Amino acid sequence: MSADLGTGPVSNALTADNISVVFGGLVAVNDVSFTIPDQSIVSLIGPNGAGKTTFFNVLTGLYTPTSGDVRFGDRDITGQPPHKIASWGMARTFQNIRLFGLMTAEENVMVAMHSHMRAGIFSTVFGLPKQRREEKEAREVAVDLLDFVGINHTRGEYARNLSYGDQRRLEVARALALKPRVLLLDEPTAGMNPQESARFVEFVHRVRTEKKLAVLLIEHDMSVVMRVSERITVLDRGEKIAEGGPADIKSNQRVIEAYLGKSGAEASEV
Amino acid sequence: MATAELVGPPETREHGRLTHNARWAIGFGTAAVLIFVTYHWVLPSLNANINTFVNSWLPLSVVDECMVWMICALGLNIVVGFAGLLDLGYVAFWAIGGYTAGWLISGQFYNLKIDIFGSPAAGTPGIHINFWLVLVAAAILTALMGILIGAPTLRLKSDYLALVTLGFGEIIPQFFKNGDHLGTLSGSGGFDFTHGERGITPVDPITIGPWKLGPFDLDWQFAVFAAIAAFVIFVCLRLRVGRLGRAWLAIREDELAASMMGVPLMRTKLAAYAVGAVAGGLGGVAFAEHVGGVLPDSFDFSISITLLAMVVLGGMGNVWGVMIGALVLSWINANGLKQVGSTFNSTFGTSWDFPSYNYLMFGLILVLMMLFRREGLLPESRTKLLLREPSRTDVESVGADLEGESA
Amino acid sequence: MAGTLVARARVTRRRKMSPSAFLQKYLGYLMLALVAYWMLTKFIKSPSQFFSAALDGLENGTLYALIALGYTLVYGIIELINFAHGDLFMLGTMMSALVLSKLGVDHSSLTGWLGLVFTLVVVMAACATLNVIIEFLAYRRLRRAPKLAPLITAVGVSFILQNIALHFHGSTPKQHPSALPAASFNIGSVQINQAFLVVIAVTAPLLLLMTFIVQRTRQGKAMRATAQDQDAARLMGVNVNRTISFTFALGGALAGAAGLMYEQTVGTTSYNLGQQLGLIAFTAAVLGGIGNLVGAVLGGLLIGLIQGLNDGLPLLGQLWSQSVVFTVLILLMVFKPEGILGKPTTEKV
Repeated sequence: MSADLGTGPVSNALTADNISVVFGGLVAVNDVSFTIPDQSIVSLIGPNGAGKTTFFNVLTGLYTPTSGDVRFGDRDITGQPPHKIASWGMARTFQNIRLFGLMTAEENVMVAMHSHMRAGIFSTVFGLPKQRREEKEAREVAVDLLDFVGINHTRGEYARNLSYGDQRRLEVARALALKPRVLLLDEPTAGMNPQESARFVEFVHRVRTEKKLAVLLIEHDMSVVMRVSERITVLDRGEKIAEGGPADIKSNQRVIEAYLGKSGAEASEV
Repeated sequence: MATAELVGPPETREHGRLTHNARWAIGFGTAAVLIFVTYHWVLPSLNANINTFVNSWLPLSVVDECMVWMICALGLNIVVGFAGLLDLGYVAFWAIGGYTAGWLISGQFYNLKIDIFGSPAAGTPGIHINFWLVLVAAAILTALMGILIGAPTLRLKSDYLALVTLGFGEIIPQFFKNGDHLGTLSGSGGFDFTHGERGITPVDPITIGPWKLGPFDLDWQFAVFAAIAAFVIFVCLRLRVGRLGRAWLAIREDELAASMMGVPLMRTKLAAYAVGAVAGGLGGVAFAEHVGGVLPDSFDFSISITLLAMVVLGGMGNVWGVMIGALVLSWINANGLKQVGSTFNSTFGTSWDFPSYNYLMFGLILVLMMLFRREGLLPESRTKLLLREPSRTDVESVGADLEGESA
Repeated sequence: MAGTLVARARVTRRRKMSPSAFLQKYLGYLMLALVAYWMLTKFIKSPSQFFSAALDGLENGTLYALIALGYTLVYGIIELINFAHGDLFMLGTMMSALVLSKLGVDHSSLTGWLGLVFTLVVVMAACATLNVIIEFLAYRRLRRAPKLAPLITAVGVSFILQNIALHFHGSTPKQHPSALPAASFNIGSVQINQAFLVVIAVTAPLLLLMTFIVQRTRQGKAMRATAQDQDAARLMGVNVNRTISFTFALGGALAGAAGLMYEQTVGTTSYNLGQQLGLIAFTAAVLGGIGNLVGAVLGGLLIGLIQGLNDGLPLLGQLWSQSVVFTVLILLMVFKPEGILGKPTTEKV
């Protein structure tokens, strides 16, 4: 599924065509088209209320768009239920962390392997060899993932008792357990200080290369956005107003007016 | 015994020592054997005073009844405690199990004469299927009913779900009560499916191999019920640590996040409903055998609430806690309060009607437990945390984290 | 943020309907059509029987509306199904019987009518007070707890009230004399009881008063603000605790009024009345769209009508009366959980 970087033409992991979402009379997203190439790092930015989270929710199947299509690889996923889209390899984290607080870190990760596991009621009750093997493998994968994000020491602890930073990492580990083709990160650096943010940028690159997946970020911290993204899409009031590399966006007059207006000076210093 | 199977998740596995679950399982097995031995051999050889005492405080029929309650409470615990779905009509499954027994091991359908390893009195008409096969049939039927009831309702928000299940808990007994004239409106004629308010009695006795249990073989009845209970406990514990159990807990914790992690909500909830229903069905068959038939009036709302009180008292989600909660409350319900009352009254010369406060007490248990000890008397550690208020808020966590970084 | 608004997007889209969604949509319409057809044939066959069954239904329906308002008010403000509300109504019927028998009220005299009004005020006040106490003792502490906890508490309170009633009242239903006039008159071939008019004369002003309080008064504004966002309301200077208490008082008062009306028209009291009627009334509240006052009244009348027609025409007859209402509830939950006048909601992310 994952073509190596630089070999052959880059296919799109995700294509959204002319997406519109209307809530009652309010147009939250208006005719936005958008692609995520395989193994790219793409950001979605825009001022509050620009429709970023709505757009995210369309991609993950929580909302069905009023019009438009979402294609995931070769598959049309418009209107499919969230759990199916997730099992096909679309993983996300949440703006406000949503872990399973009273399950251990390890169990949190294992929940996300649900769709890759097969054990049913009978094989679980009677502990058939196949089920035991599957459990064992799942546990090993979970431990590997916890290692990967660097919180293996917490595997037996309840997610709720983890520190804020570890909870964020656990969310990423949990998302990775879906074996995603696209990883959606919703404001992942919220609450991080500059050093942590810098480490986070490295981490995103590492995830992309080691797990061979595409990353889509919603992010407010412009320094993070500019350093991490290969391409940036800017939404304002539900419409796409700009798209391009960090340098283009930084110099785009419309973006500066609509979004960077107040903090434009800061952003251009980065 | 299957105790070797009853191992918890690795993080609770203790090297060289028995796991928590294994210890409880051995405890349960030992207690069951002890009770059987006591009532079967020890008591008859003791003097009359002791026998009178035991028979007034803890007669064997009450012990048997407690086992039935325990089986059902464990089933409800799967739905409420594991998956976090409030079911207020659980009595429906108990009733369906009971009527399955009523239909399959009695003379209800007198036009038929079917006998599959059954134990009918010689020459009686009706369907007579072996008790153990009836258990299987009840399990299948209640699982199907669980899915049938659950399929349209489990999409609902949790509080709506509670209400709809309450509705089902009312409709299904009403169906059994009025189901003696199906196909007519007049209240006479029609197909007699459930024998109306008179219920279906008697049902054939339990068989163990070639041997029929007589009406006074309560000790053997206990052995059979304890075996069913052990099976239900085993199923609960195994499912709890597997793929399905994790999905249930995830749904209980955060439904939306669970679906975003690839857990199909409907199917997982349905599984909880079906498995929970099966336990109710097994309990229903056992209850029918215990009282020798089924009566529609015995399946009312208060049973659902009593079961809920058992689950809440023992600690939602905690198999062993629920077991203890069920045993204690069912004893109080069946016989304990009456005994305590008569002892109290004769000691202090009062004449309070203790048993009439029974259900009041269950209501109070629900309220007081929720107000002051939501995790139950024997909390499972994770439920304890879930139901307690957050000890520190997100903002505080952020603060603490940042402080930790800068230090 | 836009994403947190109520999402209708899912509803407006037609494309790619799964078979189950398709079935759900059209099965609902099919059933409605069948019911309409059944009602029409009955109507053509015997209009007078149809109308008298409908009137019986509407009489009950006004009571359901009063009780349903209590559910909808409380649900609207703290998103709790107050299972104990039906039992509060049941206590209302018993208090009515008690006060009236102490007063020795009989009909057709001015003192009799004054006695009735006095009873109405006393019972309404008592039920309002009781409801406020219940909220204070049982629900207030759990306002920020996970949803399962207050729900279980409400079930517990309901059970407690039932058993208190069982103690004072006994398990057998009791019949009470009515102080309302027994006379009736005819319009065409349809018989109308004067008692029915009294019920309308009491409930209609109460419903109007309720709407006025919620829509026009300061306290009503506080209620609506608290319903939307408790924290924001608190920041804007709304006393949230008092507002919630006030809401419970209103609901309780209505339950009390319904209690008296029921005691006067049906004439029986029973300890488990609240559970039956409570569930029916809640169905009514959901039918109308929970949280919506007009919806609750509409739902109450509709449920009353359905029940009246089922019992009077009969569809399945009185034996199945409860089952018919619960079937409505279940179908409703499945096909249109937001009710007639409610708005669909989705979870915030």
